[in-house]
Amino acid sequence: MNKQLKDWMNKLMPLAALILVYLIFAFIAPPSFISLKNLELIVRQTTIVGIASLGMTLVIIGGGIDLSVGSIVALVTVAIAWLLMTGSSPLVAALGGVLTGLLCGLINGALITRLKLVPFIITLGTLLVYRGCAKGLAHEQKIDAPLSWINELLAALKPEQSWMLVPGGVWLLILLAICVTLVLRYTRFGLYTFSIGSNEQASRLCGVPIEKVKLLIYGISGLFAGFAGLMQFSRLTVGDPTVASGLELDVIAAVVIGGGSLAGGEGSVLGTILGALIMTVIRSGCTQMGLSNWVQEIVTGIIIVVAVVLDRMRHSQKP
Amino acid sequence: MSKAQRLKLENIKVRFGGTVALDGVDFAVAPGEIVALIGENGAGKSTLMKVLSGAIIPNDGSMTLDGKPFAPSNPEEARHRGIAMIYQELSLPSTLTVQDNIFLGMELSKSFFGINWILDRAKMRSTAETALKELGHEIPLNTLVRDLSISDQQLVEIARARAVGCEVLILDEPTSSITRQDVQRLFTLMRNLKAQGHSIIYISHFLEEIEEIADRFVVLRDGKTVGGGKMGETTHDEIVALMVGRQLTDLYPKSKHEFGETLLELNSLVGEARLRSASFQLRRGEVLGIFGLVGSGRTELIRSIFGLDSIKSGEIKIGTYSGYATPTQRWSQGVGIVSEDRKGEGLAITRTIAENLVLSYPQSCETSGVFSPSRMLATANTWVEKLSVKCRTSEQKIGKLSGGNQQKIALARLLHHRVDVLLLDEPTRGIDVGSKKQIYEQIDSLACSGKAVLIVSSYLPELLGTCDRIAVMNRGKLSEPKSVEELSEHSVMMEAIA
Amino acid sequence: MYWNRPARQSFKHHTTPRCSPKGETLDFRARLIMFLLASLTATLAACNRQPSTDKETVALIPMGSTDEFWKSVHAGGVQASQKLGVNIIWQGPIRRDDRTAQIDVVESMIVRGVKGIVLAPIDNMALRAPVEDAYRNKIPVVIIDSNLNSDKSVSFVATDNYKGGVMAGEHMIKLLSGKGRVAMLRNVEGSASTDNRERGFLDALKNAPGIKVVSSNLYAGATTESAYKQSENLLAPLKTAQGEIGLDGIFCPNESSAFGMLRALQDGDLTGKVKFIGFDSSEKLVEGLERGHMDALVVQDPVRMGYLGVEKLVAHIHGKKIEKRIDVPATLVTRENLKEKSIKELVAPDIKKWLAE
Repeated sequence: MNKQLKDWMNKLMPLAALILVYLIFAFIAPPSFISLKNLELIVRQTTIVGIASLGMTLVIIGGGIDLSVGSIVALVTVAIAWLLMTGSSPLVAALGGVLTGLLCGLINGALITRLKLVPFIITLGTLLVYRGCAKGLAHEQKIDAPLSWINELLAALKPEQSWMLVPGGVWLLILLAICVTLVLRYTRFGLYTFSIGSNEQASRLCGVPIEKVKLLIYGISGLFAGFAGLMQFSRLTVGDPTVASGLELDVIAAVVIGGGSLAGGEGSVLGTILGALIMTVIRSGCTQMGLSNWVQEIVTGIIIVVAVVLDRMRHSQKP
Repeated sequence: MSKAQRLKLENIKVRFGGTVALDGVDFAVAPGEIVALIGENGAGKSTLMKVLSGAIIPNDGSMTLDGKPFAPSNPEEARHRGIAMIYQELSLPSTLTVQDNIFLGMELSKSFFGINWILDRAKMRSTAETALKELGHEIPLNTLVRDLSISDQQLVEIARARAVGCEVLILDEPTSSITRQDVQRLFTLMRNLKAQGHSIIYISHFLEEIEEIADRFVVLRDGKTVGGGKMGETTHDEIVALMVGRQLTDLYPKSKHEFGETLLELNSLVGEARLRSASFQLRRGEVLGIFGLVGSGRTELIRSIFGLDSIKSGEIKIGTYSGYATPTQRWSQGVGIVSEDRKGEGLAITRTIAENLVLSYPQSCETSGVFSPSRMLATANTWVEKLSVKCRTSEQKIGKLSGGNQQKIALARLLHHRVDVLLLDEPTRGIDVGSKKQIYEQIDSLACSGKAVLIVSSYLPELLGTCDRIAVMNRGKLSEPKSVEELSEHSVMMEAIA
Repeated sequence: MYWNRPARQSFKHHTTPRCSPKGETLDFRARLIMFLLASLTATLAACNRQPSTDKETVALIPMGSTDEFWKSVHAGGVQASQKLGVNIIWQGPIRRDDRTAQIDVVESMIVRGVKGIVLAPIDNMALRAPVEDAYRNKIPVVIIDSNLNSDKSVSFVATDNYKGGVMAGEHMIKLLSGKGRVAMLRNVEGSASTDNRERGFLDALKNAPGIKVVSSNLYAGATTESAYKQSENLLAPLKTAQGEIGLDGIFCPNESSAFGMLRALQDGDLTGKVKFIGFDSSEKLVEGLERGHMDALVVQDPVRMGYLGVEKLVAHIHGKKIEKRIDVPATLVTRENLKEKSIKELVAPDIKKWLAE
């Protein structure tokens, strides 16, 4: 087979998987599954995981891991609700929330680079710390907040908004995805991210400013968790310190299904988005079929393992 | 052949998809014989070893062991039949003890309730002790392998092979990362094993060593057996000619170098660990060699200069800069480094040739802050062509290249960066003669164009062949550099081991 | 993984030639993928309990899908659906506090085009948006158990907690013959349903001037553990030197606080010396009632709640007018009526009969 064709096919693997999963459900789920409205719902339900997984894509390409994204999302929803309750304007609240995420990410990055500990340990710690902060700020309760335009970001489109095609939050996801793709390809930072993930020692030897790049990577991951938190708040309309527990696993799964390697140095934005979509399609299909939660968990689990096995197979074709 | 052969290979062929890795290899080794397998990298030696160890099943050909058919389908089977591999890159799990390593995969067990599942540690201990004693060396059995020197690790590998009764030992480049003394120790050991009737297949790039130890040699080129013979009856040049398929007249080109101002100056530099004192001046247009045994602190010296290891005291001056600097700063001061550890530190193995090449200097592919992948590829293609790197495209993963071609890219990184001071740590370790020659040529032409080159090596002929001056590192102390004209292989070695 | 080992081809050497490497690896890979896909599809198809399409389909969305209370609601829903000839989809989040998961389920049901939704909202605010979305899509929603801050639902079917509290209070007056000292252990701060029960209980006691409330400001907290500690704190100052207790009646407004108090009474050897009324049922509380350690339980009827939710929703779909607020009356369970069949069904409903797989 033509080598270039093969490369392309490898890149399209997650897309093929997505189409396949979609077709399977189109075949066995109720007819409503293939409706346009359901497509809109699928992209809407993918947005939170999708945005967070963009940041995680950078982290995983850079050879790291960020377990704290779920907790950051919760903290951000609480922060936004708290700001709204204390009379801030929605814009200020949204900005405050997103910046909270950025701050959390920078703290992760600073700890990882300063203490020279593996990211797994640091972010496992901050997973608990940020969750605790969220609960403390909210006094272990949810915070009700007045409705504002923030809640429109990820709500179902009203008939008069149909010109938008999809809600604003989905557009944000698309915009951010394009940004990250461009950053990875057309900036020095992108090149450095790949090289650090592939071989940190070699990158150090080549004069790559590893600390700075890592700080930036985790900062961006936090920032994107902040955006994801904004979207989560948009959906919930309340600040909930217990929300998104376990979200980090969905986010990591999305990256891995999309071809990211936990050993670092590999991954793509398109793959990640497709990975996130695959998981939502399964969830949506199972829900619409009236299947129990456990079925979709098993199916998603199988998909993750199969994705990684296929990935390994295509990487080991050449001796 | 008059003697009964222990292991005999006939017309072995291996194809990977469209590419032919082995195209008819004939090879045999008798009991009590050391046969050297010689060939450039990519000639098919590694593939042949994988066939012998059962990691690859050949497409064609036949193998016999002691007259019986031999077709291992996995490394365990090969080991059970008595064939042991001692790889170039040691494959011991470093956090296990010496004893556990010796028996890994072949643990002795005793019966308990009728099933063999309890490890027989006492028996393993005595067997391991005997095996190591037979080799004439004492290594405490409960030492962790990671605390051993590379040559001691080799001993453990050999003991591992002996303990389970392997009769055929295959040593793949065993001397590339050990010191002269240890090489002699290894050779004594090999002679003992030979006297006991073991068959040894010895793979090496070092012709001097092969002449010293082997009885016969077999040369592979492009996957074929192209020749062989008794060791004493063939000259050095003839072997090299067989290997490269051409007469390699002068491996070390050397032009007259014009020295300019001092670019790199060390004043009593002291490192954190092994480096105890180093002072020298390296001038424009000069190639300075540093010779030292493993563990003498030579690598620490070069890493300290580049800011990869921290320093305790002393002074580093680079041009007009002085004092400690990070690797990033060193690059911008016009210093570049090639690491001795290509896979671990030199290159990002899973990334492309192009990315590895421009990694230290991505600014060269930027237009007002925007990085251009197409310019990166164009740049890489230029260098690939200039250094005749064998690859499909420069978008290929660098890990798929041979060691020699990888090393060319590591060097091209410095050339592309246009650094003035080149720090080369073992630049030709584990690469084929053809690539070596090219790298020596590059070093020479760099010096001619006014760059300063520092080479650290444990291979004396190459230092004597390429350098203008050589300094010797002995237990962390660097001697005063002397002009090569005043030095001989003997005198340098004396200084290194004194 | 032997498929990544190349050149596994016929090795002419005393053995019969193996099949070609290319063919074998591709074949194996293809077979592996085919197998996985086939099993995936089969699993899904096998699990597909998708209702037939000739009946109307409604969704019943609980707060959580694992505990007894919600299984009882499910049983009631199934009961109603069988009687009324509609299909019912039972789907909810696994965790009781997973607001996002519940929002996802409601949205999926809207897209699926169910005829109506019975919803027990986890959060009175967070579920507003999806319910309003359902309203826009002309899908009626009946709220059960816990209220939603929205006027877009058709009806609210739940136990009147205030009435339940009053019921407990009146029974307490009866038990104490109108005079004595009474304590109440509150549940947690800010819980609307138990607040109402507490308020109802205290209001009822106001009608009996002979009864004095000696303690009503302690909160049990969310767990049985904290309830036990707070119960001890409540009882300690009331104990006399002789080991007697200066207290005649106790009320606890939910299951966990009642169980904590029960344990504290049992450990303090005070059972039977104080009249004790709890709210909600559980195996342990019913056992306490049987052994005489408790005197009465105010019990909700989750089966009936599920039944009424579905029944009223279907009635609305068929164009009947239904009330905005429907009460699922609470029942007072005492040792005396515990043997009655209707009460037995209430405290230990026969869920299996309706949820048979």
